[in-house]
Amino acid sequence: MKLKKLFFLLFFQLILTSFHAQEANISNAIRLISTTKEFIAGAKIILEFKVEKETKFQLYCSNSYGSSIIESENSGNKISFEIPEFLTKKRGVLSWEVLATKEKVSGNITILSIQKPVTIETYLGPPSIDAGAVDYTMLVVIPTDSLDNPIRDNSKVLVKHQFLKSEKETAIYTDKLIGYKNIFSPLKSGRIIISSESFGLNSKEFDVNVMPAIATNFKLFVNRNHEYADGNQITTFYTSVIKDKNNNIVSDGSFVEFFIRNKTKNILKTFGTTINGIAKAKMIHPDYEEKWKVKAYFIGIAESNVLEVNYKKVIEDYMVSFSENNRKIKVGPLKSFMNQTIPDGLSVKLAIYQNNILIKQLYEESKNGFTEFYLDPNIFENNSYKIITETAGIQKEFKEIKL
Amino acid sequence: MIKTNKQIIRGTLMLTYLLIIAILLFLVSSLYSFLNTGADRSKMLHTEVKKVEQYLPKIVWKDDGNEGRTISQQKISAVENDYLDAWYVKQIAYKTNTQAGISDYYTKNSRKNIYDILKYNKLNKISIDATTLEHHLDIEFFSEDGQLIVLKDSNAIEYKQVFKNEKLILEATEVSSYRAVLLLEDGFWRIRHMVKEASEKFKNTTQKNFIAFTNIKGINYYPQATPWNMYGDDFDINIIENDFKIIKNAGLNSIRIFVPYVDFGKANVKLDKLEKLQKVLDTAQKKGLKVVVTLFDFYGNYDVLDWTLNHRHAEKIVENFKDHEAILAWDIKNEPNLDFNSRGKENVIAWLDYMIIVIKSIDKKHPVTIGWSNTKSATILKDKVDVVSFHYYEDLANFENEYLALQEEIKDKPIILQEFGLSSYGGFWRPFVGSEKKQANYYEEIQKIMTKNSIPFMSWTLYDFDVVPKEVLGRLPWRTNPQKKFGFINNKGEKKLSFKYISKE
Repeated sequence: MKLKKLFFLLFFQLILTSFHAQEANISNAIRLISTTKEFIAGAKIILEFKVEKETKFQLYCSNSYGSSIIESENSGNKISFEIPEFLTKKRGVLSWEVLATKEKVSGNITILSIQKPVTIETYLGPPSIDAGAVDYTMLVVIPTDSLDNPIRDNSKVLVKHQFLKSEKETAIYTDKLIGYKNIFSPLKSGRIIISSESFGLNSKEFDVNVMPAIATNFKLFVNRNHEYADGNQITTFYTSVIKDKNNNIVSDGSFVEFFIRNKTKNILKTFGTTINGIAKAKMIHPDYEEKWKVKAYFIGIAESNVLEVNYKKVIEDYMVSFSENNRKIKVGPLKSFMNQTIPDGLSVKLAIYQNNILIKQLYEESKNGFTEFYLDPNIFENNSYKIITETAGIQKEFKEIKL
Repeated sequence: MIKTNKQIIRGTLMLTYLLIIAILLFLVSSLYSFLNTGADRSKMLHTEVKKVEQYLPKIVWKDDGNEGRTISQQKISAVENDYLDAWYVKQIAYKTNTQAGISDYYTKNSRKNIYDILKYNKLNKISIDATTLEHHLDIEFFSEDGQLIVLKDSNAIEYKQVFKNEKLILEATEVSSYRAVLLLEDGFWRIRHMVKEASEKFKNTTQKNFIAFTNIKGINYYPQATPWNMYGDDFDINIIENDFKIIKNAGLNSIRIFVPYVDFGKANVKLDKLEKLQKVLDTAQKKGLKVVVTLFDFYGNYDVLDWTLNHRHAEKIVENFKDHEAILAWDIKNEPNLDFNSRGKENVIAWLDYMIIVIKSIDKKHPVTIGWSNTKSATILKDKVDVVSFHYYEDLANFENEYLALQEEIKDKPIILQEFGLSSYGGFWRPFVGSEKKQANYYEEIQKIMTKNSIPFMSWTLYDFDVVPKEVLGRLPWRTNPQKKFGFINNKGEKKLSFKYISKE
């Protein structure tokens, strides 16, 4: 029984394998005739095969960007595949395989770029660099052929650049699809003009701005109308022409900070930006005798010398008069250095003490040389007070003023 | 008569009126909603491109510096991201013959090349379902202004399925080397030039791994309370340890467990799940049991574009446990032949084929198998697996013959009966079909055959279950109820009659 079954199985398998064999006979033997393995991009590529029987075949092909299937053209026992243009125009390996054959029939074709560039793809950057032969910009070129393929590696590209009177030309060779060159900045600021040439094709012109490098230390000057501390005129601070280490004037608009330290060690600040290397900043005169120490900075880069500026007292003395039960206090006349009435706006302080305890401070600005205070009876009860006035740095004390 | 006519006319008029109002309302509302839609400002600058993991081929960076400006790690990962996205959108484009997304990852000039091929393929009804499995990347040049990169991609493994008129006509795997020029445009690294510099057919060279022992007496294991959900919130290693003790004491030496794909976190395998699996393996090791780990449970996509995600999943798990003493074998997938109809036989087999390569490239010690659901399918990929596994739930009378026939075809590899069993269910939905007695007889019989032919076996299963999730067999009660009664021990923890034959006749 078992033997019979086994025999049957064997027989069945025999039939099956014989079917298989027949099928293998049907599938056509196919042989490649074409011998060229290297083509130029865009060239007509026809793969020819010898077959035993005329049947339609399909060819799988795959290039750098994708894959597709093409159908055969038959003529007798020769078939051919014409690879479509969209696959032949790209540089790189084109792999192919004939479908549904008994044995795998496949291969690779190398497609080379046309060694005649029509465009030079140029990437240049950074677009501005510092003068001084340390900083540099990089020129990257990809000469491409008419089918947008980068031309072969090891192709010569001439890089030309001009700066003032110097014109240079250097040869570079493309590698890994691109060619590149670092162009170092000259000592002077200005503009470099760059172009490239490959196989007689010239690129357009590119430029790089060479900016002055960072500033070096500089000097500080002062300019003022008079040296009196009148709280009205304006003092201008200005720098020497600020330059980098190669004598290039720093770029316009460079920011300079001016620090002023006064007698009481407080800091006043003012700012300016350079024009033609000179930064200017202004500050109103103090309204009392002062001694300023001024220093300017490019923060973190450069600094100036310390400049001392003195302001003279403008008011030697003033009068204080009391009226209306001492409640009305008039300070003035306030006279300036030529005995002229001081300009309006001088600050006057009035401090009121009771039993040596400060109870109120009043501030007023002068008008037409005078300042008036009025001590309101609703606030200041009738009593004895100490009153101190102060203006232009001059204090006057009045003890035991009875209101 | 006149009255009815009047009623009809009145009715029609009213209905027409309602219809006109409805149409008007619809038009006005759609106009209103059209005017209210517009570009979201936050989307103008691509600041909100969400990273969805959809394409994760294996990436190996060659970190040997580059010409030009030095490049930061952050920039390298940006380039990697965009370069892979470029591949991904290209795969989608060739699969669907549409241009979506290409313009984001290819510059104006280079995208033309893809569009040309797409146009031709669409016209000739060709579509290509492809993926890349590996890239070896190297940045060769980075320009001083940070806008241009030359990237070398050597030995990229590309798998392609070529369809014509929706019929698969070619499967190809190529190993190609590319060199690409990428430009930074609109925040994307876009491909400007792409040159395939070399290409050859992929050669599959995996080593053979041998199984530690073939005298396998095993069982498929799920805890009683949490079948098909072993690593969930109710995970309790004490219960598992106790079960392993029962298994060991019953004279068995191995178990088969399952790693669910989605539950373990797909491509990003969750650490807490790995820890639980570690505990299970440690416990098995402690109790002297060897473990066959079945991967990709509850997975059934096999889509070519899903492969890279699957590979990262397998990679993580295998890498983690390849040196674990308890591992007996890796079972790639449970009964993949059941997906042949719905997912395409070629697709499933190709998926398995490459999964074997991935696992073997990581674990060079443990054998790989596939849990085919019958003897007929068990010969598929027999040259690629190290151990052939099959399941048998058919008539016991034919078992020996089928096994012998399979042995005829597979001479040089161990064959494991990886699942078999009989339900003792004889309740309402299948009256008188099964009983504990019948189940015991079945095991007695099959144990005889297995002893006679020294067949390594793993039975299904230790426990009767209270619930069978709908993902396993659907919701139909006449299917799920028998599945609950395959155990040697019932749901109250009492040994059934069959327990006597759990490891011997």
